[in-house]
Amino acid sequence: MSVGHVARILEDNGIATVIIAVASFKDNLESMHLPRVLLTPFPLGRPIGFPNNKAQHIRVIKAALNRLNNVTDPKTVTTINEQYFSAPSSSK
Amino acid sequence: METLNDFKNSFQNGNRMDLNFKFFSHLTDDEAADFIEELLARLGTSLNDGRLERIAEHIVQGQTRAYSRPAKYNYEEGPFIRFRKNLSETKIALLTSTGHFLEGDDPAPLGVPNMSQQEAVNRIKEFLKEKPVLSTIPKNTPVTKLKVRHGGYDISGVQADQDTAFPLNTLSILEQQGHIGELAQFAYSFVGACSQEALKKEVQQEWVKLLKQQDVDAALLVPV
Repeated sequence: MSVGHVARILEDNGIATVIIAVASFKDNLESMHLPRVLLTPFPLGRPIGFPNNKAQHIRVIKAALNRLNNVTDPKTVTTINEQYFSAPSSSK
Repeated sequence: METLNDFKNSFQNGNRMDLNFKFFSHLTDDEAADFIEELLARLGTSLNDGRLERIAEHIVQGQTRAYSRPAKYNYEEGPFIRFRKNLSETKIALLTSTGHFLEGDDPAPLGVPNMSQQEAVNRIKEFLKEKPVLSTIPKNTPVTKLKVRHGGYDISGVQADQDTAFPLNTLSILEQQGHIGELAQFAYSFVGACSQEALKKEVQQEWVKLLKQQDVDAALLVPV
C-alpha cells in the first residue's frame, strides 16, 4: 500500500495526513496503523465518488478534511455513509 | 474447455481484460459463482425499478471480499500529529497514486515515452519492480492538459472525471469557498503499483522535501 507508506513518512515529518480510499482497502489500511483514514463505499478506482457528481465529491472531501482536527487518536478508520449513485443535490 | 478458474482470471490478464473485475481472480470458484448469481438476481430486480445502487453495492462487496486477505504490512504503531489548526487556515497538498501527469511531462515508465494504457496493463508486473516517479502538477492545470496512465486499475472513471480519484478541482472549489486556507501550488501523483522497498528507501525523503518546500500543513492522500 504505497500511499500508506507515504502517509507514515509525511506524518513523521510534521505534515498531517488524511487518506480517502475505497472500502475494499480497509484491511490493508487498518494494518498499517495510519493516522486518519476515511473509507468510501464506492467501486475501485472511484474513491471520491461518481463521475461529475460534484456535490458528492465535496461532501466526501469535507468529511475527510474534517478528520484532520477531529481525530484525536491514531489508527482511526471510518466509513462515510454515501451512495455511489446518489443524486447530485446538496453539498451539505 | 474454459474452466471457471480460466474465466475468473481472464478479466485480469486474458481475453476479457477489464480491471473493474480483475478482483474475480482473487475469489474462490464458489465465491465467484455466488457473486455472479447474486449480480444477475439484482440486475433482474433493477429491470423493474431502474435502481442501480444495489449493483454498485454488490460490486463493492465483491471487491471487498476479494481483497480481504492477510495484509502484507502490519505495524503495531505509527506517527500521529495532534492537528489543531482550523481548516480555514490550513494549507493542503494533494498527493495520489492514480498515475496522473502533466501533458508534456510524461514520466516515461520503464523507459517508454508515451506508453499506452494497454501496455501499462500488460506490463504491470514490471511496474511492481520499478522505483516510483512523482509527477508534479500545478493546481491550475486545465483538465485538457492532465493525463493519466496506470496499469493497476480501471481508469475510465478518472477519464470521465478526474475528480473521482484526483480531486484537484474539488479542492480548488473548497479553497475558493474559504473552507480550506490554501491549496498548495502543486499537486503530486505517481503510479502506486511500484516497488514498495524503493518507495520506502529511495524516494520518500525526496517527496517529504517537496511538500516541505511548499510549506504545507497537511496532505490529502488518495490511493487507488
